[in-house]
Amino acid sequence: MWFLGFVLLLLKTAIVLTILLGLAAYLILVERKLLGRFQIRFGPNRAGPFGIWQPIADGIKMILKEDTIPQGADRVVFKYAPAVVATVAILIAAVIPFSRDAILWGYDIPMVISDLNVGLLYVLALSSLSVYGVALGGWASNSKYSLLGGIRGAAQMVSYELPLGLSLVPVVMLAGSFSLVDIVNAQACYPFVVVQPIAFVIFLIAAVAESKRLPFDLPEAENELNAGYHTEFSGMRFALYFIGEYVHMMVLGALVAVFFLGGWRGPWLPPVVWLVLKALMVPFFLIWTRATLPRLRYDQLMHFGWKLLIPIALLNILATGAVMLWLRG
Amino acid sequence: MPRLTIDDIEIEVPHGTKVIDAAERLGIMIPRFCYHRGLGSVGACRMCAVKFLQGPFKGLQMSCMIDAQDGMVISTTDAEALDFRRHVIEWLMLNHPHDCPVCDEGGHCLLQDMTVSGGHGMRRFSGEKRTYRDQYLGELVQHEMNRCIHCYRCVRFYREFAGYRDLGALQIAQKVYFGRLADGPLESPFAGNLVDLCPTGVYTDKPARFRARRWDLERGPSLCIHCSLGCNTVAGARYREVLRQEARLNEEVNGYFICDLGRYGFAYAGHPERPRSPRIGSQAVGWQEAVAVACDRLARLGPRSIACLSSARASVETLGTLKYLSKRVGSDHFVCFYDAAVKFKMGEIVSKLDGRTAVSLRDIEKADLLIGVGADPINAAPMLALAMRQAQRAGAKVVMMDPRPLFLPCDFEHLSVSPELFDVCLSALVKSTFDRERVGKHGEAAVTLYDRMLSCDPLDASVQARLEPLIAVVEGCRRPIIICGSDIAPASSVSFAADVALLMGEVKDQSGVFYVLPGANAYGAALFDAANGSSFESVVQEIEDGAIKALIVAESDPFRYVADRDRLQRALNKLELLLVLDYLPSETVRKAHIFLPTRAIFETRSSFINQEGRLQVAEKIHSPGTPIWQVSNKGHPPRLYGTGICGGEPRAAWRVLQQIAHTLVHSQNEISENDPWPVIGGECAVLARHHQHNGPLHGLRIIPQTSTAAFFDGDLDLQPKQPMDGHLTLLPVVSTFATEELASYSEIIQRVIGSPCAYLHSDDAERCGLLDCDRIRIAVDDGFLEIDLTVSDKMARGFLILPRHSRFEWQKLHCFAQGLPVEKIGNCTP
Amino acid sequence: MAGNEVNILRAFYEGVAGLASAYRITLKHLFRKPITEQYPEYKRPLPARSRARIILTRDADGDERCVACFLCSAVCPVSCISMESGEREDGRRYAQWFRINFARCIYCGFCEEACPTLAIQLTPDFEFCQRDILKLVYEKEDLLVDHGGKNAEYDFYKHAGVAVKGDKGTHYQEAAPVNIKTNLP
Ligand code: SF4
Ligand code: SF4
Ligand code: SF4
Ligand code: FES
Repeated sequence: MWFLGFVLLLLKTAIVLTILLGLAAYLILVERKLLGRFQIRFGPNRAGPFGIWQPIADGIKMILKEDTIPQGADRVVFKYAPAVVATVAILIAAVIPFSRDAILWGYDIPMVISDLNVGLLYVLALSSLSVYGVALGGWASNSKYSLLGGIRGAAQMVSYELPLGLSLVPVVMLAGSFSLVDIVNAQACYPFVVVQPIAFVIFLIAAVAESKRLPFDLPEAENELNAGYHTEFSGMRFALYFIGEYVHMMVLGALVAVFFLGGWRGPWLPPVVWLVLKALMVPFFLIWTRATLPRLRYDQLMHFGWKLLIPIALLNILATGAVMLWLRG
Repeated sequence: MPRLTIDDIEIEVPHGTKVIDAAERLGIMIPRFCYHRGLGSVGACRMCAVKFLQGPFKGLQMSCMIDAQDGMVISTTDAEALDFRRHVIEWLMLNHPHDCPVCDEGGHCLLQDMTVSGGHGMRRFSGEKRTYRDQYLGELVQHEMNRCIHCYRCVRFYREFAGYRDLGALQIAQKVYFGRLADGPLESPFAGNLVDLCPTGVYTDKPARFRARRWDLERGPSLCIHCSLGCNTVAGARYREVLRQEARLNEEVNGYFICDLGRYGFAYAGHPERPRSPRIGSQAVGWQEAVAVACDRLARLGPRSIACLSSARASVETLGTLKYLSKRVGSDHFVCFYDAAVKFKMGEIVSKLDGRTAVSLRDIEKADLLIGVGADPINAAPMLALAMRQAQRAGAKVVMMDPRPLFLPCDFEHLSVSPELFDVCLSALVKSTFDRERVGKHGEAAVTLYDRMLSCDPLDASVQARLEPLIAVVEGCRRPIIICGSDIAPASSVSFAADVALLMGEVKDQSGVFYVLPGANAYGAALFDAANGSSFESVVQEIEDGAIKALIVAESDPFRYVADRDRLQRALNKLELLLVLDYLPSETVRKAHIFLPTRAIFETRSSFINQEGRLQVAEKIHSPGTPIWQVSNKGHPPRLYGTGICGGEPRAAWRVLQQIAHTLVHSQNEISENDPWPVIGGECAVLARHHQHNGPLHGLRIIPQTSTAAFFDGDLDLQPKQPMDGHLTLLPVVSTFATEELASYSEIIQRVIGSPCAYLHSDDAERCGLLDCDRIRIAVDDGFLEIDLTVSDKMARGFLILPRHSRFEWQKLHCFAQGLPVEKIGNCTP
Repeated sequence: MAGNEVNILRAFYEGVAGLASAYRITLKHLFRKPITEQYPEYKRPLPARSRARIILTRDADGDERCVACFLCSAVCPVSCISMESGEREDGRRYAQWFRINFARCIYCGFCEEACPTLAIQLTPDFEFCQRDILKLVYEKEDLLVDHGGKNAEYDFYKHAGVAVKGDKGTHYQEAAPVNIKTNLP
């Protein structure tokens, strides 16, 4: 019996990984295409029709590229830091439910790799771990740009961890559980975005900041810091940072879907498709934002996080609590 | 000392300072064209206008014309002055052609600078431009008269300062033309200075014509090593070759100018045949092998069988290290002079030049009496002639004792006596100036010498008559200087000149002796060569006897100097090892068993000591290497290079010698590899004290304040010998540009030297039945020597004066040392 | 107090509206037709003054214009021009060799601007990259063309005043040469 469960788990993991990585790879192409169109260009269109082989070409290039380690770098840390970012992003996907439970031969098979009862805490914990990848990578490179990027990344991610967590408190209050499966189930009637628009917005903003994308891309700010914390990385190590970023975008999309948009729920289409569709909305929004907004200044970023988002998130919790108490009676 | 205020800054300057100079001391460069400190002011260009606000002058005035005075308040940036200067530039540019791109002055042109800084860009006047036809001025100076701005610097230098007449101002009004009456080479050996002086591109450097812009040159302070004066230059190199030299200001030595030999003599360093790689026999080998084989062969020889030869053109570094090497290998022979007599004279000179007797070229300009003793400045040390002219312009009297038909660019009293009479003449001139009591202060020897002077034989009546008025001049002068050659002057005169100078110091305000030495570093060579008794003559003798088996020759070519070449040839053939280090494609280099290429003065930092004992340094200008045009044959340079520079093998001689010395005695040298001075200091105590790392820019005098040498010890030659009947005394002499060794490898100089020419007194000529401009033929052992003859009555009788000209084999005449029978001279005029 | 709140609300509204309009504009762009020209398929005719491959042009009479004055090599910010000047048999100043390293050139056009004879000119031809970097080192024979490029009629020697093309006094705005053998005005 346990053997069958194990095989199932492996199978699920494999499927989720494949889809996730495939999506992430093509997300890169999509981003370049979309940015091109936002700027009235074509975007990559040379590798295959519409440039569809571009991600593969990029992948081959990355693999074949020389892996340079700068002189004076902390070699061990330098080698492993990129893995942290990618691993953490992928691990989050483990708790995301992608369909209603399936009944096969009388067995109830949960359509989630692991339904943790503290799933939400797991998510928060992991996403705060990814700061290590950034900070360590920046520090280990022994380059001033990398170091500055790393420091910025650490400070920014710590700051936006708070509103991220706080914005989810009302969701937990509404669902009454930390399990992501339960949260999706709690949205059977209506998605939480309807009742928690403020939390939704805060989560979205904090998520953008977590993924270090425009307008919050200070850790890699190209025109100030070359490429910030990953300035010195090349080849597959650089690719790992990249994959980490795009997987993170997909995972964030899935989390937004799970927490606020009812997860896999939706009419007519199969649940997985619904989840993917909902999850893709966030990356699209992020790309759109990238084409629209300029980068914030560092003080504006801090100001915004600490003096605006956190107080509003706290007020939102209070308000939610008050309304819930009032509704109950 | 007047105090004045320029641009709100106060300054105190010596009396007689021009306002333009006072400003320069403050770092304010007032624009100028005609003013030049070496030439003085004329106020021709009106470019230096400044506004005088307070003091004896008011308003707009030329700052080059007015002496600084107390209480002056001057503004150089006053709007009125600026506007005036802007207009000056504009009207100077009215006629100036737009040919900067093809003008060699472009890039260091004063007119360009002033035009740009004055803000003048567009010619508003639309009339026609004045034009001139240019002249051919010889191979050294290129003429392009359109560019002239009429500052008169050129004629002021050429006529007033240098005293030559063939260039001047012609035409009138705004058509004034600067040039010669007709095309033809400029006669002055100082003509190259026009290139430096002309503020625009009228006179440009012809050998360097169209070769490079100033901004592309590797430039640095260097020295002229073509004569013993040690004039300072700035050498400019490009693509591994020195292209041009300019005069470098040294107040103590050459002032603002140099002669054409110094300016254009550099081409030997880029000689197409210059040997650039080490060689064993005729086989080119690597450095390591060549040095190893040389050391190996030297080591196999006994300690007393090695001799070392260098010369007066080698640097102090080379000489010092060679001396060190010669001691290390236990050699008895370290020789720098080919002629024992010259060596003896140099010993005398070095021991007698001290703070009391030595004078610089600058002191000559301040003298009021110059007595020449066997010196021919124009031929042997051209810049000396220029200094003498300055003295004369200031009122000095010039007396020259010399058998040659001298030429000087100034008036002088010529006593054409034979060298044997120098002592007698000098005694007769000066003895009445001294009295026994004053002379006595210098001790017994001085009194003895004085007695000898008094007892000197009366000269023949004609000379005596010429001397009479001069004796009065000597008595009346305050700053006499004796200029003494070291070439034809006998040893007794050389040392007597210093004695007289010392005695004069007792009765005059200032006096001294100025020697003309036989080479750029003759003084240095004498410092190292002084202590031992061997001469080159004795070295050759010992080679013939088989005692000496190896000869190390560092930057020296005995074939050029030694009279009996066949004997030298035979001697060298007997050697087991002839090791030669040099940078010239010389005869000796061709004969070398092992040859090691060394660096010329431009390729390594090197030091030289001039005739007054001034140690001066020439900096490295460029790295050695075959000039690019020689590699590429004027096409574009190779597109791919290997490692190392083509022809870049030469090393500084001192490095090689030091390496050989250390290999031979197996000492891991206790001495630095990068500094030759500890070694030099070990060989010469005087130099140890004056460690020339970063000496002052104008050089460092290394002579003692008071020499410990015995003055007044020479014996006067008061009994001149009568020449043999029917014989002429041969006198081989130096000839401008044509004698000097380095210049004879300089293609530029070779283009301009005249053909050799012998001199004979008109009486002697009559006796031999020869006429002026005849071509004579002298029978020697193996054939004839032909040379043009000039007959002169301004020279001593009984002499046939022959140039040591690079195109005349004077060496062959060595068999007539006792006199040339007149019947050996034939006339071969076509 | 009330006014203050209104202000805050207005600021909030304006902020949100501003953001929204920005998003709207970018979204509109998303649906516009790209204006990109597809380079190797379509080659746009470039203006004559575009700055790419450098040439050395000739005078109207077919002679080399360059007088090897070193101005271009002096002004070149990356020092990619080198040459050696010389004097031709007929007294004309010319470049014995002239080399441009296009691997270094940044096509800034300073050389063209500095050139007093209009010899060196940049052309619109930019398609000459090479795999072997040495092939980008152009010698004089590679650079020299047989036309006058832009301003083909300009002739430096007609303005300069040196007697290379025509005697003194025969050029543009020149008086006849001064006769030095007379003092008559
Ligand atoms: S030729 Fe030169 S130095 Fe002579 S007057 Fe003209 S500008 Fe002055
Ligand atoms: S275009 Fe600019 S970089 Fe290129 S050669 Fe000319 S000056 Fe130099
Ligand atoms: S600036 Fe013009 S004339 Fe001068 S060297 Fe360059 S190309 Fe030749
Ligand atoms: S510098 Fe004074 S007038 Fe020429």
